[in-house]
Amino acid sequence: MTNGTKGGPEILENLKMELRRGCLIVAVLAQLRIEQYGYTLRKALAEDGLAIDEGTLYPLLRRLETQGLLVSQWREEDKRNKRFYRLSPAGEQILNQLLEEWQNINASLNKILQEASL
Amino acid sequence: MSKVPSQESSRNSTDLIDRYLQAVRFWVPKTHRQEDLLAELGEDLRSQIEDKETELGHPLDQTEMAAILKRCGSPMMVAGRLGPQRHLIGPALFPIYEFVLKMVLLWILVPVFIFIVGPVNLANSGGNWPSAILGTFGDLWSGLFIAAGIVTLVFAIIERTGSHLGSEIKWDPLKLPPVRQEECKPSLLKAVCEFGFGCFGLVWLLLLPQYPFLILGPAAAILKAGPLLHTFYLPIVLLSIVGLLRSAITLAKPQWTWFPVSSQLLNSVFLLVVLHYMIQAIGNVPSAYPFVVLQDAVRDSPKYFKLVAIVNVSILASVAFTWLGVCIAAIIQTWEFLRYLRKRVWGAQQPASLGAQ
Repeated sequence: MTNGTKGGPEILENLKMELRRGCLIVAVLAQLRIEQYGYTLRKALAEDGLAIDEGTLYPLLRRLETQGLLVSQWREEDKRNKRFYRLSPAGEQILNQLLEEWQNINASLNKILQEASL
Repeated sequence: MSKVPSQESSRNSTDLIDRYLQAVRFWVPKTHRQEDLLAELGEDLRSQIEDKETELGHPLDQTEMAAILKRCGSPMMVAGRLGPQRHLIGPALFPIYEFVLKMVLLWILVPVFIFIVGPVNLANSGGNWPSAILGTFGDLWSGLFIAAGIVTLVFAIIERTGSHLGSEIKWDPLKLPPVRQEECKPSLLKAVCEFGFGCFGLVWLLLLPQYPFLILGPAAAILKAGPLLHTFYLPIVLLSIVGLLRSAITLAKPQWTWFPVSSQLLNSVFLLVVLHYMIQAIGNVPSAYPFVVLQDAVRDSPKYFKLVAIVNVSILASVAFTWLGVCIAAIIQTWEFLRYLRKRVWGAQQPASLGAQ
């Protein structure tokens, strides 16, 4: 039997990335219940253990805005133009549904893991 | 905690960030979101620098700023991530793929078809323009599809085999080129020179009918203008007047940045139309010598027949080369005009200036 470890780290990285991708969207939406601009959002996510690079965050924010989940506005703060984001009413609804779904998945996963460990 | 970066540090960071953003801009897909994303990336980098300065308690030097940019990633990698999600060719390789594809299709294939395949098709069709143009377009489409397919296939193979890995390592933020001043106002010296030469050219043209030696030199004693030069004298004078007006308006209204690019293109198009009709008219002229003919006094002297033939062929060659030159100029001017338009339209949509901090 092969142990299937050929390219193991790469597979693990890809799976971790897939797992993170969905979680990041929920995290971003949750963080944006309070208005923030890109850099402070990135800092807040990193402080909570979900570091995200600039090249990933900004296109994601654009996509969420295009989908109507976020609203944004360029505003001057500390003599610099910054783009502030916050959750739209539609985004708030979707976030609640996503959180509910996440809790369901989490509960199912815990149940599966408990059954498997028996 | 107080945030007091010195003016010098602020200027240095702005310069380095602008150079970095310029490099990212080169690779990032040209969409309406481009400037918006770049403005936000610039703001993020400035915030990172500011935070680091607050943390260290002193303004960052160039090496420390470069370290922040290095951590952010090479301009090409960042551009790849900023672009839309791709499946066949990943974000790291996509900017190079897009660049190579543009080079091959726009700057190699299209000119080859316009300047080589087109004229060959025209010659093969015996001067039948519509059939030659249609044939060239048909061949061009097939050529574009095949070339795009080959380039895509090569890049997809590189993507799958991972041959591009390592491109991230070799780059130094401090070696990024300085920021280009793209939107220059039209040069005053250039406009003055154009106006001066335009005046001189117009006076010279107006004097030609009275003083043909101005163009023919000593040969004016035996040669005079032929039927084609008579027919096209007025359109050429009109073009010259329009050119002069163009220079005068450019001088008088330097703030009209749209005017030089658009009027130059229009001028070239009109010149192409005149040259086209001139070339077409050569076949319809009954005389063997369309541009210059012998003076009445020497009309029957066989020793001048060879001379008049050589002068006519020389003028014909000049007209043909001028046509080719104006075609190339018109393509370049169209490109510049489209770049200007794109900049205007997207610039108007951009909410925040990249460098205005």
